[in-house]
Amino acid sequence: MKLILIADDKATSRELLRTVLERQGYAVSDAADGKEALEKVRAETPDLILLDLQMPIRNGYEVLGELREDPAYATLPIIALTASAMQGDREKALAAGFTGYLAKPVALSHLREEIQRLLDPKNAADSSGIT
Amino acid sequence: MTARNPDLNVQATAARQESSLESRFHKLLEAAPDAILEVNSEGQITLLNEAAERIFGYSRGELLGSNVESLVPAAMRGGHSQHRGSYADHPKTRPMGTGLELQGQRKDGSLFPVEISLSPNWIEGSLHVIASVRDITERKLVEDRIRILREQYTAELTAKNEQLEARNLEVEQANRLKNEFLASMSHELRTPLHTIIGFSEVLTEQLEGPLNEKQQRFVGHILHDARHLLELINEVLDISKIESGRLELKRDAFDFNKCVEQVLAGILQQAVAKNIKLENKTSFHQPLYADQLRVKEILYNLINNAVKFTPEGGSVRVESSHDRNFLHVSVCDTGIGIREDEQSSIFDKFYQVEDPLRGGREGTGLGLAITKHLVELHGGNISVVSRPGHGSTFKVTFPLVQAPATL
Repeated sequence: MKLILIADDKATSRELLRTVLERQGYAVSDAADGKEALEKVRAETPDLILLDLQMPIRNGYEVLGELREDPAYATLPIIALTASAMQGDREKALAAGFTGYLAKPVALSHLREEIQRLLDPKNAADSSGIT
Repeated sequence: MTARNPDLNVQATAARQESSLESRFHKLLEAAPDAILEVNSEGQITLLNEAAERIFGYSRGELLGSNVESLVPAAMRGGHSQHRGSYADHPKTRPMGTGLELQGQRKDGSLFPVEISLSPNWIEGSLHVIASVRDITERKLVEDRIRILREQYTAELTAKNEQLEARNLEVEQANRLKNEFLASMSHELRTPLHTIIGFSEVLTEQLEGPLNEKQQRFVGHILHDARHLLELINEVLDISKIESGRLELKRDAFDFNKCVEQVLAGILQQAVAKNIKLENKTSFHQPLYADQLRVKEILYNLINNAVKFTPEGGSVRVESSHDRNFLHVSVCDTGIGIREDEQSSIFDKFYQVEDPLRGGREGTGLGLAITKHLVELHGGNISVVSRPGHGSTFKVTFPLVQAPATL
């Protein structure tokens, strides 16, 4: 079973994502800030991270930066998650080294497609669509 | 009086004398408005005119034979005789003391600004100098006045510029604060909407257990209104970006027909619910070089409006035609139409047409304003033709821009 780490400081958001992903058949672990996220990555080596950009202690970009410096996590799929919807955010996130980008509110179908695209590309559907 | 009057004879003789050339030159000299003085090599005044008497306040008798330096301010007299010496070395017509502020001194000791022109005059082998002295008091006054006015004006202008700069800074700062506020507001509103919409979706999927019909409907309402709220937030954010000029297009070559299909697919559910026929009659089979997301937004706004304002059983059709330079897209509906007096206002910010199908007004009134801005950002234009009771046709024209050659 593939393990997904959810790093989000909002407990309700963590519960939502956990509910959806567990139902998809993934194992889920979570962290409430950037520091905890880094500890969980090293302890549990997840297959994918959903990383909120605005988090206390270490924000999403800092966590990403630290992970990408480590060859062990150079290609780990990491999806940026953010409620900020400013133009250029997606480009900025992808340029920084994120594998994917999801804007909150995330449509569940979109979340599922994005995770499937990264973890199970053979069965992934065409994920283009209106966001 | 008779012709034999001896006085008349004197007058006649005088008239003859006055007509001599010397007399005419003498009159010319006396008529000159500037003081004209002839000075011999000793510095003595040998000839002068009436203006010289008037300007310096001496009588002719007082001036003739006196040293010209008595007309020079005391402070400069020492230098003057030296200058006279050096003029003798290069005697030619020239202004005196170029670039200097020259002054003359009247009999009463008062000083006044002058301009002096010097000319050599050789008389019996001896160098005389003709000085033409102009009293420039009036001109100086005017010049001073102009200078003062100019300085005042410059000072005022500088002050105004400083005010303007300060104001600009304030506006810039206010604008930055507004943008920061909008960004953070948008973030703060989206965060709870994320879980409201997400959990509502989870409930609608009934994976946590079945909902009865009423519960399903209620959750449906939550989802519908939460999505509506999200649209409003996006619109407010969009119009603010457009107005501050921060909305930039990301052009790309994409399949326009597919884009229309995708937008129609997103609206299909609403159309089906109202039994409205959605038709795609577009026929543009080349890639369109434009901002795909924004073109989708334009189409979505127009088609969504068309469905919203079309009664049950109607139809909404998207058509296209193109020539060498433009792609013309029309969204036609069989809806309620727009009154002629409202047609020019519907693209205004916050203008809302009443929705007689559902009653009242919904939305921000920003949709068409944003649509128009997005079309114009692409260099295109938008217009509407409508007959109340029969339907509306929104026409959008996109210029066909050549995609830059890829490497």
